[in-house]
Amino acid sequence: MQLAPPWRARLFPNNEWVLLLVIALECAIFSITGNNFATAANAFEITRLSVEVGLLALVLTLIIITGGIDLSVGSMIGLAAVVLGGLWRDAHLPIVVAIAITLLVGIVSGSLNAFMIARLGFPPLIVTLGTFSLFRGIAEGLTRGIENYSGFSQRFLFLGQGYVFGVIPTQLFILMAAIACFWWWLHSTIYGRSLYAIGFSPEGARYAGIPVARRLAFVYILSGLVSSLAAIIYVAHLGQAKSDAGTGYELMAITAVVLGGTSIFGGRGTILGTMLGLFAIVILQNGLRLSGQPAELAGVLTGVLLVGTIVFDRVSMRIRQAANADKQLSEEEFDLRNSQLAILSGVILVAALIVTGGNWWSTRSLLKELKGGGTASNAGSGAAGHKPVIALMPKAKGDPYFVSCKQGADEAAKELGVELLWDGPTDLDPAKQNEVVEAWITRGVDVIAVSVENKVGISTVLRKAKEKGIKVITWDADAERDARDFLINQATPQGIGYTLTDEAARILNNKGEFAIITASLSAANQNEWIKFIKERLAQKYPDMKLVAIQPSEGDRDRAFAETQTVLKVYPNVKLLMAIAAPAVPGAAEAVQQSGRKDVKVTGLSLPNMNKPYIHSGVVESIVLWNTVDLGYLTVYAAKALITGELKPADKELRAGRLGVVEVADGEVRLGAPFIFNKGNIDRFNF
Amino acid sequence: MMRLNRYKREMSTALAYVVLLVVVAIIAPSFCSGANLRDLALNNAPVLLVSIAMTLVILIGQIDISVGSQFAVATVAAGWLAKSGMPIPLLLLCVILIGASMGALNGVLVGWLRLPSIIVTLAMLVAWRDALRWTTGGEWVQNLPANFQWFGMGQQLGQWTIVLASLILLGLLSWALGNLAAGRAVYAVGSDAEAARLAGIDPARVTFAVFTFMGALVGLAALLNAVRFSTVPSNAGLGLELKAVAAVVVGGTAITGGRGTLTGTFIGVALLGTIGPALTFAGINPFWEKAIQGAIIMLALGSDFVLGRVKRLHTAHPQITQIP
Repeated sequence: MQLAPPWRARLFPNNEWVLLLVIALECAIFSITGNNFATAANAFEITRLSVEVGLLALVLTLIIITGGIDLSVGSMIGLAAVVLGGLWRDAHLPIVVAIAITLLVGIVSGSLNAFMIARLGFPPLIVTLGTFSLFRGIAEGLTRGIENYSGFSQRFLFLGQGYVFGVIPTQLFILMAAIACFWWWLHSTIYGRSLYAIGFSPEGARYAGIPVARRLAFVYILSGLVSSLAAIIYVAHLGQAKSDAGTGYELMAITAVVLGGTSIFGGRGTILGTMLGLFAIVILQNGLRLSGQPAELAGVLTGVLLVGTIVFDRVSMRIRQAANADKQLSEEEFDLRNSQLAILSGVILVAALIVTGGNWWSTRSLLKELKGGGTASNAGSGAAGHKPVIALMPKAKGDPYFVSCKQGADEAAKELGVELLWDGPTDLDPAKQNEVVEAWITRGVDVIAVSVENKVGISTVLRKAKEKGIKVITWDADAERDARDFLINQATPQGIGYTLTDEAARILNNKGEFAIITASLSAANQNEWIKFIKERLAQKYPDMKLVAIQPSEGDRDRAFAETQTVLKVYPNVKLLMAIAAPAVPGAAEAVQQSGRKDVKVTGLSLPNMNKPYIHSGVVESIVLWNTVDLGYLTVYAAKALITGELKPADKELRAGRLGVVEVADGEVRLGAPFIFNKGNIDRFNF
Repeated sequence: MMRLNRYKREMSTALAYVVLLVVVAIIAPSFCSGANLRDLALNNAPVLLVSIAMTLVILIGQIDISVGSQFAVATVAAGWLAKSGMPIPLLLLCVILIGASMGALNGVLVGWLRLPSIIVTLAMLVAWRDALRWTTGGEWVQNLPANFQWFGMGQQLGQWTIVLASLILLGLLSWALGNLAAGRAVYAVGSDAEAARLAGIDPARVTFAVFTFMGALVGLAALLNAVRFSTVPSNAGLGLELKAVAAVVVGGTAITGGRGTLTGTFIGVALLGTIGPALTFAGINPFWEKAIQGAIIMLALGSDFVLGRVKRLHTAHPQITQIP
């Protein structure tokens, strides 16, 4: 009779030790392929990034063990963040009081979930799906989507951005304390044990005298509380509170929990497993980034890992059932361990192969590039033939606007013979931008160039990069002035706002009604432009009236529907000004299909997607700048910074095929906004 | 009277919808124009189709939150295939097949391997969208052949085709669900999978079929939506899963499975689809739309409770009837 050593079964009841293997494997691979992966600094950065999601994962472990789920935790972060921001900035409460009230709000919101799930007996999935929408909606409603609370005190920010002993992130202590509390509560108290019973069989637990409703209510209220705590750390970390805080965090937390061996059916799970699962994912993402792989690969691999783990969990449960039926426990257990190991090794092997394969391919293509050589860098940059590395980050990789910038950037990188890194969040995500910059600092690039989504939050990490000797420039959207060396400015928000208004006035003959279709009501760039549009209207065009501002959320179809509605609600509107790239074709299509020949569309967009509408006359003109040139100029400016060609006091810069470009006031200026219309649009292809 | 009692839930939703219409008609009479109602129908046709399939998925006690990503993939696929010169009938078939295969993947994992649908479709949601973004690089599909928009039928005819197609499908499926053995099988599996199995219905097969059907309908919805425009975006279907689930739940389908009708879903789609434009007509800040939708879902659940349709102490997975 070979029984497993008691300590192993107690510590890893669900064979979570395999996750240790996965983590060890990831560390081994990434320390080879990633730059500066295996350093203490990077290790601590990884923990900093995982505190907020870690807190969520801890409380979700409890909930999932009871057989429930809570999808509203991410939205709760958003709500708590704006409550904190509003209380502190608008109600002028001292930060400690604001924090206390925020935690209270978390408890109240958790109680809503608790009431519907524990008292009324509704399925947790649907209730929390509803509160997922409700909390986020309230957060957006409270801030009208626009508010961005910032300017917190240094002492508060230390909580999320500071270092203890110079290298340990502050919030790590909070996470450690939380892990200890949860571990003790779940595994050593009868209350924790009762959760397992409830997950295993709620009816059975009730017959055993466990107050099921009370326990369930407790965990959901706890979830609200912990989510608001995570929100407070999030705000301290990024330095700003917006209604979109915590978007997508519930996904990552649930993945960590399930990966960690907690059964989604309830009744099984450990805190240790959850933490191991979390670190497996975070290290995977961090390692891939440091190895220069695209962020999408991390997403796909995480999905594969998740599904693989559950298949494995399911299969082993079946084997276990069959084993129990046979009553030959010890031998079956032995076979069970072997087959579990085999299956999981298979999954790890596949994942490892994908990563290695990807790296091998990119290494090969890099080698080809270096051998094919004969580029400017071999002659120019001296310093032991080190190829300068320029790291370029858009606001959103999937946005066609930024894709066209990348075209120009690639062109310039080829001309100059520099290595161009291109990474960033796939959708707008300020927290992700911070992560990517941190990874680049660890990796040790020469220049970091960011199109900033969150001014305050990114500035801290950019200053850190500057301290380490990395050059920092911003392009398209600025950070705080002392956090960067230069801004590559395509046009000032004032220039854009004024040009848009002037175009509108030209089309409307200085009088009439018009409506704006914007991106999302909280988009910073668009709101800047709207500010200047209103200013210009008041200044020069008193007979023009702006009747409505509707959001398109970056969705062409939504812009289409909103325009249709506007045309009906405001029949006197003669012009739609769509100030987001996908919104112009959407609005144009709506105007075209409505048959209203008296209505025109203008706005800010990319040429290609609007060509058919410009030719048919629906879209009079679009205002933009040459985005390809913007990317091109950014890379040239970056290179000039490295070689010392571009200095703070300079008045101009030579930029390849763009010729001489104006430099003033810390900005490298591309030029005035460009107006695309029927006469010139065919010359462009982006 | 007995028959009507079964539809208390759907009737209360219908009542809410009528009340909303009346309120909007009073505040903004221009809302009830023929053109506006037609546009509402068109804009919500894809959501309707997806919600129909989602009803079936929820009826068997599962959920599918990957539909938005599947929609995006099918949309781009339609664009690429059209650009390669494929004739319209073949294009229709191919896009439906592509959708069906994505659904089949879910079906295999949930039906045969008995994995929890929330996790599988969560993983697929991320995987499909990221993979799509990776391949397209965010670029839209432009320069489509002239016969792509409105299937080459022109705007009027094309619009009628889309609205009629969705309504006919609704009618057909509603009838089938109530009168065909396959339809009864769906209700049976959702009510009690074990009992269904003992009665000779294979839950695994039904589950697989429903998810595959979901994928196929998503493909069709994506195509019907794509042909309303002359270019194909790379990020379609944002938030579609939430809209569909909300419509189904609001429409009276019990989330635990086994109870619900497609008529209810239709009313749910109509109700939720009217809120956004109604807010604009009433001049209210569009922000509140999300909060209102969340509140309506809560209300729908509340009325479920009041009508005594919810089992207490329910876990998230009713199809597990044995204690492991």
